[in-house]
Amino acid sequence: MKLRKVLALTLAAAMTLSLAACGGSDEGAAEAPATDDTAAEAEAPAADDAADDGAEAEAPAAAASGLTYASVNLGEDYKDLTTTIKFIHHKTDREEDGTIPDLIAKFNEMYPGITVETEGITDYAEDSLLRLSAGDWGDVMFIPAIDAVELPTYFVPYGTVDEMSEYINFADQWKDAAGNCYGIGYMGNAQGVLYNKKVFADAGVTTLPKTPDEFMAALQAIKDKTDAIPLYTNYAAGWTMGGAWDGYLGAITNGDETWLNQKFIHEAEPFKDHGDGTGPYALYKILYDATAQGLIEDDYTTTDWEGCKPMINNGEIGTMVLGSWAVAQMKAAGDNPDDIGYMPFPITVNGQQYATAGPDYCYGINANASEDNKAAAMVFVKWMVEESGWCDLEGGYPISKTAPTSFVFDGVNVVNNVTSLPGEEDIMNELNSESELSFNQGGDAKVQRLVEAAATGAETYDDIMADWTTAWNAAQEECGVEVLY
Amino acid sequence: MAAQANTAGTKKGFLQWARSRRGQQLIIIIAFMIIPLALLFTFTYLPFGEMVGFSFYKMKYVGKRTFVGWKNYASVFSRKDCFGALKLSLYYMGGSVVQLVLALYLATVLSFKVKGGNIFKGFMFFPYLINGIAIGFIFKFFYTRGFVFDTVLQWCGFQLDNLPYWLKDQSINNISLVGTSVWRYFGQNMVLFIGAIMSVDSELYEAAMLDGANRLEQFRYIILPSIKTIVTLNVILSITGSLSAFEPPYVITSGANGTGTYFVVMNEIAHTQQKVGLASAMAVVLLLIIFAATILQKLFFKYVFKNAEDEDFGAAKKREKQLARYAARKAGR
Repeated sequence: MKLRKVLALTLAAAMTLSLAACGGSDEGAAEAPATDDTAAEAEAPAADDAADDGAEAEAPAAAASGLTYASVNLGEDYKDLTTTIKFIHHKTDREEDGTIPDLIAKFNEMYPGITVETEGITDYAEDSLLRLSAGDWGDVMFIPAIDAVELPTYFVPYGTVDEMSEYINFADQWKDAAGNCYGIGYMGNAQGVLYNKKVFADAGVTTLPKTPDEFMAALQAIKDKTDAIPLYTNYAAGWTMGGAWDGYLGAITNGDETWLNQKFIHEAEPFKDHGDGTGPYALYKILYDATAQGLIEDDYTTTDWEGCKPMINNGEIGTMVLGSWAVAQMKAAGDNPDDIGYMPFPITVNGQQYATAGPDYCYGINANASEDNKAAAMVFVKWMVEESGWCDLEGGYPISKTAPTSFVFDGVNVVNNVTSLPGEEDIMNELNSESELSFNQGGDAKVQRLVEAAATGAETYDDIMADWTTAWNAAQEECGVEVLY
Repeated sequence: MAAQANTAGTKKGFLQWARSRRGQQLIIIIAFMIIPLALLFTFTYLPFGEMVGFSFYKMKYVGKRTFVGWKNYASVFSRKDCFGALKLSLYYMGGSVVQLVLALYLATVLSFKVKGGNIFKGFMFFPYLINGIAIGFIFKFFYTRGFVFDTVLQWCGFQLDNLPYWLKDQSINNISLVGTSVWRYFGQNMVLFIGAIMSVDSELYEAAMLDGANRLEQFRYIILPSIKTIVTLNVILSITGSLSAFEPPYVITSGANGTGTYFVVMNEIAHTQQKVGLASAMAVVLLLIIFAATILQKLFFKYVFKNAEDEDFGAAKKREKQLARYAARKAGR
């Protein structure tokens, strides 16, 4: 009797343990919000733009102390400066894997006198705000979500936005009413398509596809000539459907920066076929056609997000439609980081390809630090941006205009979707809710429907687009939104 | 003067009454009941009433509300996805029949002397102890093409090419999901049945054996009538559970690919689309459907087991009442 009980207990324990192991697969879901964050951040700068329009230049405050980003010559100025600065950041993973200490060691080869202490903060978005208001936080930090009017209180300007635009991308992310630049991104996020260079080469695709037709031809070539899955949808994860595909609406699909947040809500037929491979119609059609032609993973319902990373790294996947934030994760997932490439989304509007991009967290320098520390911090930030190669290491869209980058977006017009007109900020939310399409708001079901319809042949693509249009128009009517376009 | 005397009189009367046995009884009853009743009201009936109120508004979680009358209820009935989702409940009801028959069979077998009976019971009850989310992840891998299930079937001689895609193929993916639910709950049903069967006086079996009844007859004439109440209860719980199936589709397929049950659709409408009013209306409609289903089942069982009740009508009535209370509590949750 005793023995039996012991046996039963051991079995139960073993089973529970094996369950705990299964629980690990949960992590994929935890990464989902990251996409939303980057999307939100990418939209943030435009908000500032709208507020600042018209309010024009007083004399830039940066000139007062004479210390600007442009005035520092790396490797020449401040060589004899001896001080200790502190840098707080959110990249705890990079702190732990030794990337940041390595960077700082390299920095000290050029500037042995400047000691840099770093602190990675897990719950950065909230903690950094508290630290900022408490004051004594250090010298360099990633600027948290504060209002633009508060920038001069807390941070040192790098120079005017116009000046800074010569050196970096996205200089207008953090700017005050006077046109000073307060933040420099540590990396940028762009919207394009992940692909495996080796798979493309094996399939004989030598020039990157620029139009939906070329893209479909490339996918077909991958299917015909290699064993790789041409387009991996990550259907089962859910957030990779709406969360990824909706991100290309706007300038990428039709070259119009005002479309997504200003015209979309007023358009009578946003999903109509323009016939030239542009617009939302062409965007979602890629997914539908790829599914219908058997160019996606075989059993799309049981895939898991963690599993796709080593697969694309090892050349088992040709392309995935995800933001550039995913590049670093895919590179880190196997032995072939150099095979991971990132290309502009294959839609060409009047001979021009577009990409939307924005900075991730931005370096800010404490306005209340001592003069020495400000100078040291300025040197450090400039070195991090131009010499460290961190941005490229993360696979990010380049920040510095001079630093070498593996991010090739040749001939692509990088733009930002501008924000809503004043007074119309909430309309998109209302229409999203009313139409139940939820663009850029977790509308995964509608994109999953495309895959299901294409795989089972239940609905044609045009039927679905017509259905979306009907829902959109009904929502416009219900919410009293004027149809202008 | 007279009035004063009068009030003094009632006062005295009240005090006297309060000291009396009857008064004490009543005071104690009220004093004990007030806390649970207050809790029940605040955390069950008040939120429920609020939800019924919400169902008449067009609203999000934040922002202004507009009164729309019965419009939400009209859309519950006119939308394809709401009642279409209820059809999926048929799969789950079918599954619950399988589950109950299986549980009853195994319970009967295991309630007699079986070698290693406790180990079997443990194994079969074990899935019920696992968290529903974990079960979801287990079965996602279980059903993946070429993984666990397919491998096992290949050992049995099936060819991978002939096997369906368990979750992708829309004609069977609901059955796959129902399978997980059966796997999880039949052990629990079985343990309930075993408990009920244990309470049957074993002398009855001996007597039946002497009369020449075989096992099947023992089951038909002794066990089944004795555990009628628990069978009814399990059936009612299974049916209401089928109507409100949520975990398997939500965790395994996130309701995509034609597996969105009523609850999953409701969750999507409430949380992704933020149509709180419509989702509340859906919840109210589902509650009414569950009430109706429960009442119908009660009537059905009353009719079916009529003969067995005749001898002891009072006890049966009492049992029915308890049952109804339990079922109502379950349904109200």
